[in-house]
Amino acid sequence: MSAYDVMPDMELFQPVTVEDAAALAERLGSRGWVLAGGQDTYGWLKDRAKHPKAMVDLSSIDVLNGIEETDGGGVKIGAMTTLREVSRDQLIRARYGLLAAAAARVASPQIRNQGTLGGNVSQDTRCWYYRRGLSCYRAGGNICYADSPEGMNREHAIFGASRCVAVSPSDTATALVALDATMVIQNTRGVHRVAAGDFFVGPAVNITRMTVLRPGDILTAIELPADWAHAEYYFEKVADRNVWDFALVSIAAAFRTENGTIRDARLVCGAVSCVPRRLTSVERAVIGKPRNDSTGEAVAALASEGARPLNYNHFKAPLMDNLVRRALRA
Amino acid sequence: MDIVEFREDVWGREVLLGVSWDLLWVVLTLSAVAIMVHIVVMTFLKSPPRPSAAGLHMERHAAVDRGFHWIMAVSVFVLLFTGVLPVVGVDFSWLTIHWVAGLILTAAVVFHTLRALFWQKPREMWVGADDFREPFDAGTKPGKYSLAQKGMHHAMTALVLLVIGTGLVLFAMIDTPWWNRSNALDESTLGWIFLLHGASTLGLIGLVALHVYFALRPEKRFYTRSMISGWISEDELRANHDPARWSPERSA
Ligand SMILES: Cc1cc2nc3c(=O)[nH]c(=O)nc-3n(C[C@H](O)[C@H](O)[C@H](O)COP(=O)(O)OP(=O)(O)OC[C@H]3O[C@@H](n4cnc5c(N)ncnc54)[C@H](O)[C@@H]3O)c2cc1C
Ligand code: SF4
Repeated sequence: MSAYDVMPDMELFQPVTVEDAAALAERLGSRGWVLAGGQDTYGWLKDRAKHPKAMVDLSSIDVLNGIEETDGGGVKIGAMTTLREVSRDQLIRARYGLLAAAAARVASPQIRNQGTLGGNVSQDTRCWYYRRGLSCYRAGGNICYADSPEGMNREHAIFGASRCVAVSPSDTATALVALDATMVIQNTRGVHRVAAGDFFVGPAVNITRMTVLRPGDILTAIELPADWAHAEYYFEKVADRNVWDFALVSIAAAFRTENGTIRDARLVCGAVSCVPRRLTSVERAVIGKPRNDSTGEAVAALASEGARPLNYNHFKAPLMDNLVRRALRA
Repeated sequence: MDIVEFREDVWGREVLLGVSWDLLWVVLTLSAVAIMVHIVVMTFLKSPPRPSAAGLHMERHAAVDRGFHWIMAVSVFVLLFTGVLPVVGVDFSWLTIHWVAGLILTAAVVFHTLRALFWQKPREMWVGADDFREPFDAGTKPGKYSLAQKGMHHAMTALVLLVIGTGLVLFAMIDTPWWNRSNALDESTLGWIFLLHGASTLGLIGLVALHVYFALRPEKRFYTRSMISGWISEDELRANHDPARWSPERSA
């Protein structure tokens, strides 16, 4: 399959209000495509693997940009805020260093300059069979190419597979789930909020989408509550290359400690299932324990419990366990 | 509107995906129209006086058969809802519920078939020349089952067997507690299986709609009652059946 340098022929809409964008997206339905920074989108279009008839470009909608403090000590980040801004913003770095660290590990400086936080959490999976335009389950077909004896599935899921074994590629998604973020979604029927943990959708629930966003929905903002501000954080992403590469496994962790003892914890792994995977058994096991090597050693194996590796990704299970050890080592 | 769904793969080949779900709306519309036409016709037709439910109780369905009927009914409803709701945009984790209901239906059908063949009188369900006189001759009454009931049963049997057969093949492709998912079938074979599974599902939706409608019609409601309590009255028996062709025992 060839990739083209030129964009396919399609209509371009550049609304200046969210209401107009939502109305356009609703009217266009599955023929339309919401465009943010384009870093996921342009790959699809250049490969001619998706064929939208019209783009709804959000870049002219000012209210979707920027980072502001909210009442109650939280922070609201507009969906069109670039990953560079998120990773460099003083407020985010001071209160939610976990998100700043995750955003700073996305792709490359160029992509972070252009890619947005909203686009990063809404991006599609990177399974190459699907990205090449094969008619697999996720593309509406009846078969999974990755999950076969010969399938190249080194990067694929070890949890939560249901016919499709693709993983969520978003680096910021794990941090947002760990921080108990809320996603603000607007459509022609109004505004509604969804917890980050419920925003991502596995193949058992919907095999053709990665998030709850449906045609006509615009993600307008991401709200971070004060609950997890100024906590102790740990973010690590293991990838084949340090830049311009997706996670093989990543971890985003937040701890609340008192006199050296963990009072509350969030640990979320990326790239092991189709949604960011909260390690709830590890979270429960570390409460009341000190954040140190021996706690890490004691609970690490819980991380990969129940994993079902594919032919080429058995390494992900011990990698998860090790990342938990490192998160607790502090 | 498409009847069958194809997709062009990256090499430009057409891949059969299955039935087009646009047909769901066609089936629902046709069923609604058929029901409405029947309601209108029945409103204008002079209906005979309704037989009384009082008097002796005659056994129509043994408890075990009623049990099978309702197990099959519930599993068919669960299968239809879990199969179709995701198609119309209601998202939930449907696959496990779907195959569990499918296995229950399969087991119920196997038991029902064995019981019908060896412990009941399968002849009561056969369609013979006499049955075709019923619609045209008010004096000809059916045995245990009318021509319409036999027709419904046989159409339902064909569709349920098709949906179970194709469903079991698809079941072999997914993760279960007993085996791991497999990609043993090629895309075009799977496309055909999905086509038959989807088409029989659509057929079942139409038949179930009609079946439920007739089960709720006032003049047929005593049959529905008999599927719950097991009996029809002597009066209902005499008014609707030929004792020479079916003479049930008194109900306990
Ligand atoms: C070479 C390369 C390497 C990469 N490496 C990484 C990596 O290491 N980690 C990582 O996380 N990502 C990586 N990515 C992916 C990319 O960084 C993210 O996809 C980027 O953040 C997407 O943001 P965007 O604004 O460009 O999204 P777009 O491409 O514009 O949109 C992505 C998707 O989200 C939808 N969307 C976007 N915004 C909204 C909104 N507000 N409301 C509703 N729907 C919306 C779009 O319709 C589209 O489907 C990489 C991409 C490339 C090309
Ligand atoms: S893993 Fe999912 S996206 Fe990849 S080939 Fe299989 S069904 Fe398609």
